[in-house]
Amino acid sequence: MANKPTTLLLFFCLAVDLFAAEGEAFFESRIRPVLVEHCYSCHSTKAKKLKAELYLDNREAALKGGESGVIIKPGDVDGSLLIRAMRYKEESLEMPPKAKLPDKVVADFEKWVKMGAPWPKTGDAVIATGIGGFDFEKFRREHWSFRPVKKPDLPLVANPKWTQRPIDYFVLSRLNEAGMDPAPQADKRTLIRRAYFDLIGLPPTMAQVEEFVSGQKTWSAVIEELLDSSHYGERWGRHWLDVARYSDGLGGFLDAGALPQAWRYRDWVIASLNHDLPYNEFIRQQIAGDLTEHPKVAAAGTGFFAVGPTYRSDGGDPESKAQALAETLSDRVDTLSRAFLGLTAACARCHDHKFDPITMKDYYALAAVFKNSNVREFPLADAQVVKAYNERQKQIADLDKRIKAEQRGLKTGKGNSESIDLDAAKKQLAELKKTAPAKYDYFHALGESGSADMHIAIRGDLRKKGELVARRFPELFPGSLEELYKTGSGRKELAASVVDPRNPLTSRVFVNRVWQWHFGEALVRSPSNFGMLGEKPTHPAMLDWIASEFMRNGWSIKWLHRLIMNSAAYRMSSAHNEKHFDRDGDNRLLWRMNPRRLEVEIWRDSLLAVSGRLDRSLGGAPVNEILNSKRRTIYGTVSRNGDRFVSEKFLRTFDFPAARSTSPGRTASTVPQQYLFMMNSRFLNDCATSLAGGLRTSSPEIPAQIRAAYRIVFQREPDAFERKIAAQYLAAGGSLEQFAQNLLSAEEFRYAE
Amino acid sequence: MKFAEHEAAVREAMALPQSRREALKKMGAGFGLIGMAGAADLAAVNANPLAPKLPHFAPKAKHVIQLFMPGGPSQVDTFDHKPLLKKYEGQRPSIVDRKSLRNTKNGLMPSPFEFRQYGQCGKWVSDLFPHTGQCVDDISFIHSMHTDIPEHAGAMMMFNVGHLQPNRPSMGAWLTYGLGTENKDLPGFVAMSPRAQPRCKLANWGNSFLPGAYAGTYVNIASMKPDAVMPDLKNAKLSRKEQRKQADLLAMMNQHYLERRVRDQKVEAGIEAMEMAFRMQFSVPDVFDTSKEPKHVKDLYGDSEFAKGCLIARRLVERGVRCVQLSHSISGYDIAWDTGHNDIKGGHKDLAVACDQGIAALIRDLKQHGLFDETLIVWGGEFGRAPTSEGAKGRDHDHYGFTVWMAGGGVKGGHSYGATDQFGCSAVENRVHVHDLHATILHLMGLDHEKLTYRYSGRDYRLTDVHGHLVSDVIA
Repeated sequence: MANKPTTLLLFFCLAVDLFAAEGEAFFESRIRPVLVEHCYSCHSTKAKKLKAELYLDNREAALKGGESGVIIKPGDVDGSLLIRAMRYKEESLEMPPKAKLPDKVVADFEKWVKMGAPWPKTGDAVIATGIGGFDFEKFRREHWSFRPVKKPDLPLVANPKWTQRPIDYFVLSRLNEAGMDPAPQADKRTLIRRAYFDLIGLPPTMAQVEEFVSGQKTWSAVIEELLDSSHYGERWGRHWLDVARYSDGLGGFLDAGALPQAWRYRDWVIASLNHDLPYNEFIRQQIAGDLTEHPKVAAAGTGFFAVGPTYRSDGGDPESKAQALAETLSDRVDTLSRAFLGLTAACARCHDHKFDPITMKDYYALAAVFKNSNVREFPLADAQVVKAYNERQKQIADLDKRIKAEQRGLKTGKGNSESIDLDAAKKQLAELKKTAPAKYDYFHALGESGSADMHIAIRGDLRKKGELVARRFPELFPGSLEELYKTGSGRKELAASVVDPRNPLTSRVFVNRVWQWHFGEALVRSPSNFGMLGEKPTHPAMLDWIASEFMRNGWSIKWLHRLIMNSAAYRMSSAHNEKHFDRDGDNRLLWRMNPRRLEVEIWRDSLLAVSGRLDRSLGGAPVNEILNSKRRTIYGTVSRNGDRFVSEKFLRTFDFPAARSTSPGRTASTVPQQYLFMMNSRFLNDCATSLAGGLRTSSPEIPAQIRAAYRIVFQREPDAFERKIAAQYLAAGGSLEQFAQNLLSAEEFRYAE
Repeated sequence: MKFAEHEAAVREAMALPQSRREALKKMGAGFGLIGMAGAADLAAVNANPLAPKLPHFAPKAKHVIQLFMPGGPSQVDTFDHKPLLKKYEGQRPSIVDRKSLRNTKNGLMPSPFEFRQYGQCGKWVSDLFPHTGQCVDDISFIHSMHTDIPEHAGAMMMFNVGHLQPNRPSMGAWLTYGLGTENKDLPGFVAMSPRAQPRCKLANWGNSFLPGAYAGTYVNIASMKPDAVMPDLKNAKLSRKEQRKQADLLAMMNQHYLERRVRDQKVEAGIEAMEMAFRMQFSVPDVFDTSKEPKHVKDLYGDSEFAKGCLIARRLVERGVRCVQLSHSISGYDIAWDTGHNDIKGGHKDLAVACDQGIAALIRDLKQHGLFDETLIVWGGEFGRAPTSEGAKGRDHDHYGFTVWMAGGGVKGGHSYGATDQFGCSAVENRVHVHDLHATILHLMGLDHEKLTYRYSGRDYRLTDVHGHLVSDVIA
C-alpha cells in the first residue's frame, strides 16, 4: 500500500508523456508537412523573402506571431487568426494565398489548435526537427558509428588457449562476461563444407573432404586454395551485387529499357574481387572509375550507378517529369549512402532526416553530383572503330529517311524535288546494312555532364526551388563545409570523401558486411543503417579493431577472409546448446556458428554440382532462362522487377532480392512454392535423373547405391536409420530417381552448418 | 462482424491442423523418432509470413476484390450523369480551363450514351452498364476522385501502389502483410486479367520492399489452365499415391535431420511448408476450375473472360483468399479503357459489354453465398476523361475528377458521395484523393493506414505515405 501514491504518480507522468507524444505525432504527421509545403516558402528561415514578419519554424516563433499580431491561441480555435485565414471566409484574410486548403486539412489545424498546438521542442532533442539544425558535435561525440575508428586493446580472457586470432579475444571476453562458453570446434567435414560454401559457393567433393579429414591438407591450405579459385569472385561478387542492386535493366514502362552490357559490370566485380582489388580502390572505381588514370578498366566500376534504375516520365506532364528525375537521383543518393556509409541519406529528400544528422542541404549537395553525371555507353574499342560504326549507322539512317520521304511523296502524289530511284536506293540500303560493322564492345558507365550546384527541392518537388547548395559531403563529416566539390560533377572528390581513412563509417560498414556474409548474422544487424535507428554492434570493440586493421592492411578483402576464417570463432560448431539457446537464442554473443540457409544461387549451383551437371565456365553475357542452363546462377539475367523471365520467378520464390534498391541482406523465407519447385520442376527432376543415373552405374546393389548417394550429395556416410528407410522405400517399388530427388530436396541440402 | 468473433476465427486459423503432424509422429515412432515440442509448433507457424494476423480494430470486410479498369473510363459516360453537357454542347465555359497538357481544349461534348434511373435510390447510370445499374442500391459511388497526374503509368501506380513510381508495395501486398490470409493452401493475394497485364505489370500487385510472400500471384485468365496457374503445380510423373509415398520418405528424412538441428524453426517450417505444397497441388487447380459450377451460376455471369475472372474471384474469397485484383482487358491492350481518345462511343462500348454482366453477377453471387457483407468490391480506373472533346468524338485523360465505386463489406448502398462541377470536369465537393481511397479501404479491412507501416531504408513506409484521410461518409 505504501507505494500506491508513487505508482499513481508514475502512472500520471506516463499518461502525460503519452499524451504529449500523441500530440507531437499528430503535429509531425498532419501539421508540419502542410506548413513545409504551403507556408515555409514565405514564413520560415528558409524563405527567400520573409513575408509579414512571421516565422513558422518553431513553436516559440509561431506563438509570437508576426505583423498581424498573435496568430495562434492554443486551445482557442475561433480566436486564432491562423484558423480564420485558413477558413477563407473573410475578405483579405485568406491563407495560403493561392487557394484554400482542403476542408480536412483545415479541420486538422483546428484540432491541433484545440489540442494546445503541440509542437516538439527543437535544439536539445536528439530527434531532429529539421528546423534548428543539428548539433553535429554532439552526434559525433555520442553516436557510436560517428566516432572516429580507433584500434582498441585486446581484452583479457579467462582461457587464452582457445584463441587463434586476435578477434577471438573479443568474442571470448563477451562470452566470459555472460558466463557462457564458446561451442567446441566443428568436425572437419562440417568445417570444409562451411569453407567451400562460404568462399566459392559450391560443396566440396567427397575426395576433397577426405583429403582434409585425413590430415593430408591443412585448414589454411584449404582457405588459400579457395581464395585462389576463380569461383571465389563469383561467390563474393554476388554478395556485392545484392548491395549494388544489380540488374540487366528491363525495368518496364517507367524505368530504363534493357542494359544489354550490364554484365560487364558484373564481370568487373568478379574480377576485382578475384584480384583482391583493395576495397578503397573498389569504391573509388565504382563512383568515379571513368575519371581515373585507367578508365578503360575502371570506368566499368561506375556500372554500380549506371545499371541502377533510371526513371522516365510517361508523357510530358511536368510533375511526372520532375518526379522521374527526383526518383532517379534518390536512387543514386540512397545507394551511395546506404551501401558505402550505412547512412539513409535519401530520407532527407523532402525534409531534414527525422532521426539522423542529415539535412536536406546534405541530400541536394550529393544529389547534384549525380545530376551532373549521366549514363552513357563507354566504348571499349578504338576511336577508329567507333567512328566507322557510327558513320555507317548515320549513312543507313539518312538513306532510310530519304526512302521513306520518297515513298510518302509517291503516296500523296506530291512528288519530291530530289526524287531518287527507289529500287536502287533500297538495294543500296540493304547492302549498307549487310556490310555494316558489328556494334563495338562497350559498357554502361557514368560520364560527366555538368558542374552545377543544385537548389533544395521544397518537399522533394524539383519544381519548387529552395536555397542553392554547394556540392559537398554531408555536414556530419568534419571539414565537409569547407571542402566543396568543384571539379566536373564532383564524383572524383566524392569518392575521395567516401574512402578517406578518417571517415568513420566506410570501413566499419564493409567489415560488418563481410562478417555477415561469413557468419550469417552481422555484428551490426542493420548492415545498411548505422544511424540512430540502426542496431548497435554486438561487439563494438571487435568491429573497431577489425576496421582499423583492415585499413592498415591496405583494405585487402582477402586479408579479412583469412583473419576471420582462421579464428576459433569461425570454426565453432553450430550445434544446439539448450542452456545457451534459452539465454541467447539469437546468438548475439556468438556462442556458436549460425546454421545458414544457402542462398538460392548456391543451392541451385550445388544441385547442379552434385548431380554432375554444372557448367563451371566464367563470365560473359547473361542467360535469360537460367533454369534451362547448366551455368552458375549468377549468370542468369536479372530484370529490374524480376518479372521478365520465368526463371526469375524461381529466384524470387527463394528470396532473391528485388533489384530496385540496395539490399542489406537476404531473407530466408519458407513458403510452399519452394517445395512445389522441389517436387515438380523440370530442373529438379533433371538433376535427380542425372544423379540416379550416376548411382546406377556406380553399383547395381541397392545398399551401395544408397551409400554412394549420401557420399555424393552430403559428403558423408548414411547412418543406420537413413539406410533402413531408403532401402525400405526402394524395396517397396520407389525408384532411384525419386529417392535421388528426395536427397536433393532434403532440408539438410539447404543448409551450411 | 464483432471483433471477438473475428479474433476467435483468427486464433482458430492460427492453430495447426493436428492430423498430418500426428501421422508423422506415429510414423516416426516406428523408427524411434522423437515428436516435435509444442512450443516449436507455434514458432513454425509464426515463421509462416502468411499466417492470419489480428487487425488494428474490428474489420467491416475480410476480403477485397478490386475490379481495376486500366486506361481511365470516362465518368460522364458511365456513372456521373451531367445533363448540362447537352445544353451547352460545343461551348467552353471558363470552368473547363484547367492546367493540363492533355488535349482538352475543345468545347463540351455530351455523352453519346443514354442515361436512365435505377433502383430505389434512383441513380442515373448510362446504357454502358445496364447490369451494374440493377445493383445500384448496393453501391457507394464516389464522384469526387482526383489524382496527381493525367498520364497512365504514373496514375496507375498511384492507384495501385500509392506512389507515382513503381517502387512501392501494392495495396494488395500491404493488406496481405497486415492481415495474412485465411487459407493456408492458397496464395493470399491473387491478381488476374484476361490477356494483357495492366501497364507496369508486376508493380500493380508487387511486394516491392515487403517480403516476397506478400506479392500477388498473377494468373492470365485467357490462357489459364487450372493446374498451371502457378509454376510447378502439377507432378507430371507420379500418381498421387506414389507421390505421397515419396513425400512420406522425405518427411522422415527431414524429421531425422531435425533431431540433429534441435529446435530449429526454419527446418520445422520447411517440413510444414512441404506438406502445404503437397496439398496445394490439388487445392489450387480446384479453385481456378470453374467448370463444375452449376449452370445457373454460369448463366448469371455470362461467358466473357472478365466474367470468368469475377467467378474465380468469388471462389477465391469463398476459400479465404485476402485480396483479388481483377484487371480489365479485351484485346491485349495494357490500358484497356484508353480506347476513348478518338471515339468515346466505340471505344468504351465493347469494354463495358465485356465486363458489365460479370460485375453484376459477382455482386449477386456473393450475396447468394453470404459473402457480400464481408467482401469489399472496388471498381475504378486510374483517372477519368474530360467532358470536353478530343477531336470530334473522343475524350482525353482527366485527373481532376473521376468516379470510383465500392460495394459490399461495410459500405453504404444506394449512396453517392462527393461531386464534380456541373459539367463533370473537376471534383469540387468532398474531394477524395487516391490516398484517401486507400485509407478508407484499409479502414474497412480493420487497418489504420497510419499504423500499417514497414521499416525500410531507414524509415517507416505506409501505403498512404504521409497522406490519406478516411472517407467516413461511405461507411455504413
